[in-house]
Amino acid sequence: MKGRRWIGLRAALVLVVALLLQLTVVSDLRVAGVIGDLMLALVVAAGMTGGADRGVVYGFAAGLLYDLLLDTPFGLSALTYALVGYAVGLAGSALLRTSGWWPVVIAAVAGAVQATLYTSLGNLVGVAYPFGDLPAIALVMAGWCALLVLPLIRVMWWVHGHAEPDRLEVLLR
Amino acid sequence: MAISPPTGSRTRLAIVVAASVTLVVVGLQDAPVIRDVREGAATVTDPIAGAVETVTSPVRNAWHGITDYEDLENENAELREQLEEAQGGEITSSDAERQLADLSLVLELPYATDLPKVVARVVSGPRSNFSHAVQIDKGTDAGIAVGMPVATGAGLAGKVTQVTASSATVDLITDPEFRVGVRIASTGDLGTARGQGRGDPLAVDSSISPRAQVADGTGVVTSGVDRSAFPPGIPVGTVSSTRPGSGGLALEVVVEPAVDFNRLSYLSVLKWQPS
Repeated sequence: MKGRRWIGLRAALVLVVALLLQLTVVSDLRVAGVIGDLMLALVVAAGMTGGADRGVVYGFAAGLLYDLLLDTPFGLSALTYALVGYAVGLAGSALLRTSGWWPVVIAAVAGAVQATLYTSLGNLVGVAYPFGDLPAIALVMAGWCALLVLPLIRVMWWVHGHAEPDRLEVLLR
Repeated sequence: MAISPPTGSRTRLAIVVAASVTLVVVGLQDAPVIRDVREGAATVTDPIAGAVETVTSPVRNAWHGITDYEDLENENAELREQLEEAQGGEITSSDAERQLADLSLVLELPYATDLPKVVARVVSGPRSNFSHAVQIDKGTDAGIAVGMPVATGAGLAGKVTQVTASSATVDLITDPEFRVGVRIASTGDLGTARGQGRGDPLAVDSSISPRAQVADGTGVVTSGVDRSAFPPGIPVGTVSSTRPGSGGLALEVVVEPAVDFNRLSYLSVLKWQPS
């Protein structure tokens, strides 16, 4: 078994690298003016491979790191990523025995849900994010998460070790 | 199929949600500790992000080459047309410039009489879909401080909200949280303009009488009234439409920003701070 310390270091490295790529590359690769979300895709991959526990922890950590470098309400990314990571972890566990394309579908749904959640909670705390922009944002976020989840699942395997054989087989079927 | 997470997962979720909500509440109070932590994070990451941007520029340039080609063709055609018009108008512009200079002296337009300023390059655009801030390559070393207005040659672009030694974050006027006191140039009526999101016009909440006559195309400038966060007279935009506000007690004015936020390359930080 890999030491917990090394897992923690690898996880931290992956989060920091993802953050830097998000800030420099991904934020510049706009589709219809909308930015993709590498951090969210990483959270989704974490939830898919490690269940609700890992999803919520990665969600909180990734969201908090992202919030440090944004001008948006501090903690809102942490909250929405944690909720989505938890939900993805639950869904991933529940769909363990089904087709291997489910991770892509779940990732797409997670992207759209996070955009909706962020817009809604933002309005709840007094920031008038326009709901008119939401369909485009949700669509692009869903696309990015769907595109990136499978490679990021492999990144999670590198960090935490491969899943048990039956989970691995199902994910790649 | 039943989805029943272990109790430990639910406890962990509850703790994380509670911590996140606490952070949101603290953050909304504009707590200095949050500001300091964010500035510290920016100080650490900006140099690294700059290096990563340099390394990854071929990827981003290739992406823009593919996605922006049609826009570039249209812009080329538009610029050729403007060049032809400019050449035709060159004869009359010199007279217009003289008149403007004379008028500025008479009206004492602050915006026309040069506040000290720092010109900075925009190094990155908004970092998320819900952010309306850009980063510039000058900071406290150049005399920039939080709260300073930021403009382009066209008008008001935003204000500085975060600053490190060599960089600053500029919150744009399109941010739904952005507020600026404005004056309708033709009538003198006052109001507060607020952003409505990227690509959307500003909405001016009034104070403006529903009987006010505000024609489309009328200029809107910063009001600079007592304790305003902006100096007076900076162009904000032009009126694109008006409609009765809710309750019929005031006129709602929609303002198209003067600045083209799709073409931000350089910004001028006005070294001015509210009294």
